Amino acid sequence: MPEVSKMKKPDVKLVLLGDMNVGKTSLLHRYTERKFKDTISTVGGAFFLKQWGPYNISIWDTAGREQFHGLGSMYCRGAAAVILTYDVTNWQSLAELEERFLSLTDTANHNCIYALVGNKADLTDPKAQLPQDSDPSKDQTECGVERTDTQVLSACPTPPASPASLSGITLQKQVTPEDAMALYGRILRYKGLDEKSSLPAEKMCFETSAKTGYNVDDLFEALFDLVLPSILRNRNESQQSPTVDLEECRGAGNKRAKSGCC
Amino acid sequence: MERDNHQVGETEGVKICDPPCESNPPADTLATSLSLLGNHMFPDPVERNYRSTVKEEPEDSLSDITAEEESLDGDPHPHQVTKLETEETESSGCQNNVSTQQLDIENEDAATDNDRSDSGEFVVTMLAKAKLEEQGIGVKGRSSPLLEAETQEPPAFMSHRDEDVTADSWRQHRKHVFVLSEAGKPIYSRYGSEEALSSTMGVMMALVSFVQSGDNIIRSIYSDGHTVVFLQKGPLVLVCVSSSRQTEQQLRGELLYVYYQIISMLTQASISRIFEHKKNYDLRRLLAGSEKILDGLLNLVDSDPSFLLAAVHCLPIASSLRDALSQILQKAITPNLVFSILIANNQLLTIVQEKTVIEDSRLEPADVHLLLNLIGASSAFQAGEIWTPICLPLFNPDCYFYAYISYLDPPECTVCLLLLSTDKEAFYAVAECKRKIEEAMMAQNSLSLIAKVQSYSVSQVGVSDLRHFMYKPFDVPDNYRQLTQFTSPEMEAPYSSEEEKMRLLDLYRYMHSRIHSSSRPLKLIYHVAERETLLAWVTSKFELYTCFSPLVTKACAITAITKLLRWIKKEEDRLFIRNPPKYSTTPNPSKSSRGGKSDQQDSTDNGFLSLL
Ligand SMILES: Nc1nc2c(ncn2[C@@H]2O[C@H](COP(=O)(O)OP(=O)(O)OP(=O)(O)O)[C@@H](O)[C@H]2O)c(=O)[nH]1
Ligand SMILES: [Mg+2]
Repeated sequence: MPEVSKMKKPDVKLVLLGDMNVGKTSLLHRYTERKFKDTISTVGGAFFLKQWGPYNISIWDTAGREQFHGLGSMYCRGAAAVILTYDVTNWQSLAELEERFLSLTDTANHNCIYALVGNKADLTDPKAQLPQDSDPSKDQTECGVERTDTQVLSACPTPPASPASLSGITLQKQVTPEDAMALYGRILRYKGLDEKSSLPAEKMCFETSAKTGYNVDDLFEALFDLVLPSILRNRNESQQSPTVDLEECRGAGNKRAKSGCC
Repeated sequence: MERDNHQVGETEGVKICDPPCESNPPADTLATSLSLLGNHMFPDPVERNYRSTVKEEPEDSLSDITAEEESLDGDPHPHQVTKLETEETESSGCQNNVSTQQLDIENEDAATDNDRSDSGEFVVTMLAKAKLEEQGIGVKGRSSPLLEAETQEPPAFMSHRDEDVTADSWRQHRKHVFVLSEAGKPIYSRYGSEEALSSTMGVMMALVSFVQSGDNIIRSIYSDGHTVVFLQKGPLVLVCVSSSRQTEQQLRGELLYVYYQIISMLTQASISRIFEHKKNYDLRRLLAGSEKILDGLLNLVDSDPSFLLAAVHCLPIASSLRDALSQILQKAITPNLVFSILIANNQLLTIVQEKTVIEDSRLEPADVHLLLNLIGASSAFQAGEIWTPICLPLFNPDCYFYAYISYLDPPECTVCLLLLSTDKEAFYAVAECKRKIEEAMMAQNSLSLIAKVQSYSVSQVGVSDLRHFMYKPFDVPDNYRQLTQFTSPEMEAPYSSEEEKMRLLDLYRYMHSRIHSSSRPLKLIYHVAERETLLAWVTSKFELYTCFSPLVTKACAITAITKLLRWIKKEEDRLFIRNPPKYSTTPNPSKSSRGGKSDQQDSTDNGFLSLL
C-alpha cells in the first residue's frame, strides 16, 4: 500500500491550469509515473502529493473544461506556482490562458511564480520526439532549466540523426516561443510585477512533450527549486502555529523566489 | 418530480383501464396464482411476426394518431403482446392498426381529432420535406417517409463520434439518442457528430415546436420497427430513436436518465439561467469532454438492469464485514459531510448518511446510478484524489455537492471511496477523513477481504432449472428511507456472450413492461419464450423476475420460486444493505445543500455563467 495512513502535510502547492486537451494530466502522469498513458478528461481537480526530497509538494491537476471554470480560483488559492499550459499546435489554447485562466490566479500567493508551458512539442519539433525517459543521464546541465533555454525556445528544425525523427508526422506549429514569452510579459504586467525583478521569460517558458517526456522533468524540477523558498517559509510558519494550513499561508512574505540551482 | 419515472412512467395512463380482475389475483401465494392462470397459458414463442403485423399497414404511414390518454388500449405495440400474458385478449389491437398514422400526442387542451390528424399530417410532410431520410433517423424499413433512405457505402470503422451519419451502418444502431436545445441547437448525439446532425436536429425541433404551437406535446412516433420518443425538459429536448422493442415508457425513462446526467454536471438552475440569458447558447461548450459520460450512461442503460428496475445492486458480502466497513465510514466524519460511500468494482459495498439529510429525503437509486456512472467514466484508474462538484438531480436538481473521489487500492483501482460534502472548500478536511478510513481499513485488513468478494452464481440457490433472476424487495426495514435495492446473480451460460445477455435483458424488459403497463398492469406473467421460460411476479413485498430453462414445467417453476424466496430470505443480510448506519456532523446551515433557495446561490453555478 503506497503512501498510506499518516497525513503528510503538503509544504507547498502547485497548480496546473490550461484549456482542456492541452495535456495537463498527461504531463503530470509523465512526471510522476514516467509514462504516457490514455487519459480521460479531468473532472473538477485531482490532487497529488509528490515527495521531493524531504518536502511534500501538492499538485492540483485541474480540469480545463469550461464546466469547471468557477472552481479554478479555489484550486489556485494559496498556490506558490502556477503552470499555465497550452498546446503548441493550437493557438486558441494560448489565447484561452489569457482570457479564461489568468484571472483564476488572483487567489494565488502574492509571490506566486508562473510558468508557461507549450505541450505536445513532439508534434512539431523533431528533437522533442526523442524518447527521454530511457536516458537517465539527462543531467548534463544539472536541473535542466538552462538546457531548455536557447535550444528549445529557438525551435529550429535541426533534425537529429535519430530514428525518432522518422516516427512523427510533424504538425503545424501555431504558437512560437516568442508568443509565449510575450504572454509572459503580459502576465507580469497583469500581476503588477516589475519585469526586471521577476524571473525572466526565457526561464519560465517551456516547451514539453508528455508523450516523449521531452523537458518534463526539467519543468517540474525547475519549479520545485523555485518554490523552495516558499516551502521553507511555510515550514517556519507552521512551526510557529502548528495548525496552520496551506489555505491560510498566502501572501506572507514578499521576497522573490530565486532559483535553487544554477 | 418524476421520481419513479421508469417504473410508472409519467403520470398518465395508469388509471385509464382497469385490468380485468382475473388477471390480477391477490397473488400472494404463487401456487394459487399460477393455478389461476389455468389454460390461459399459451406456450407461445414471443419471437414471431412482430414486424409482419406492422407491415400490413399502408405505405407511407406512420400509423395512427392517438392521444395517449384516450387510447383505449394504450399499448403502443398491440400486435406484439397477444397471448403472452395470462388473461387478456387483444381485441382492441386492430383499432390501432387501421388508421394510417400513429403519433402519440399528449393532448393538453383536448384538441379535436381533426386538429390532431392535421398535426400528424404536417409532421409526416415535415419529415419527408426535410429529407430526414437522408440523414437516416435510424430507421431502415421501407414503408414510411422516414425510411426512404438510399443506402450509402459504409465507411471504414471509426469511433462513434466520427461516424458518417449518412451511412447505412449509422442508421442501423439499435438506439439513437439526441439532445438539443429549444432553439434547435445540437447538444449531444450518441452516434455521429452533432455538427453533421444539426439539420436532423433542426427538424426534430421543428416537429416539437409545431405540435407545441397547438398546445400539444409530441410524445412519440411509431413506424415500422422503430419508435421515436420525445421528452422535453425545460430548455432541453431529448429524442430517442429505437429499434429495440422497448416500450415508449421505458425509452422515456432512459431519456430522463440522460437528462438527469446532464443536470448532474450542470444543475437545472444553471441550465435554465443560461438559456434565459441566451436562447441559442451552444451548450456543448459546457459539456465538451462530457460526451464519454453520456456515452457510458447509455451503454449502462442498455446493459445493466439497475436502470430498468430503478434499484441499486450492492455487492454481496458477509454482513459482519459490511457492518465493519460502515462503522469505519461512520467514524471518519467532518462538518458538512453528508454521504460516505464505498464502492468495489462499480457496485455498492456500503453507504453511510448524515442523519438530518436523510430525514428530509432518501437517496434515490437514480442518483446513485448517475454517480456511479460519472465516477466510472471520469475517474477510472486515477491515482490522484479528485475533488469535483456534482449535483444529485433527484435529491436537489439545483445545487452541487462536492465529491471527493479516491481509489483505496492503487494501482488496481477497484475499491473507491466517495465522500460527498456540501462545502466547496472542504477538500482538505474530507481528504483527512479518507486517511482515517484508510488507516482503519488497513488495521482490519479490509482491502484483502473486499478483494475476495464476488458476485454469486445462481447455482448457489440449488434449483436446477433456474438460470437467472432479479429480485427487488419492498419489505426492507425502515423502507421509506432506504435506498431501493435488488439482487441478481452473475449472468452465466447460456447468457455469457454479450448478445445472449442482451437477449435475456430484452426479455426482462418485455416482462417489466407488461408488469408496469400503464393501461393493463399485470401481477404475474408466465411467459414461454423460444429458448427459455420466464416468470415475473410482483406483490406488495417484492418484484421478481426469473428465467428458467425452456423445459421447466409449471409445477417445477412453482417449487423453484418457493425455494428461491426461501434462499433469498436466508441470505438477505449478505445480499442487501439492511441497516445503513447514519452519522451526524455539524452542518453549516448556510451551505446546506438542501437548505432554502436563498443560501444556494453560491453552489448553483460554477462561475461559467460569467463566460456567457
Ligand atoms: N502528441 C502528444 N499528445 C499529447 C501530449 N500530451 C497529451 N497528449 C494527448 O492530448 C490529449 C489530452 O491530454 P490530457 O492530458 O487528458 O489533457 P488535459 O489538459 O488534462 O485535459 P482536461 O483534463 O480535459 O483539462 C490526450 O489524447 C493525450 O494523449 C503530448 O505531449 N504529445
Ligand atoms: Mg486532465
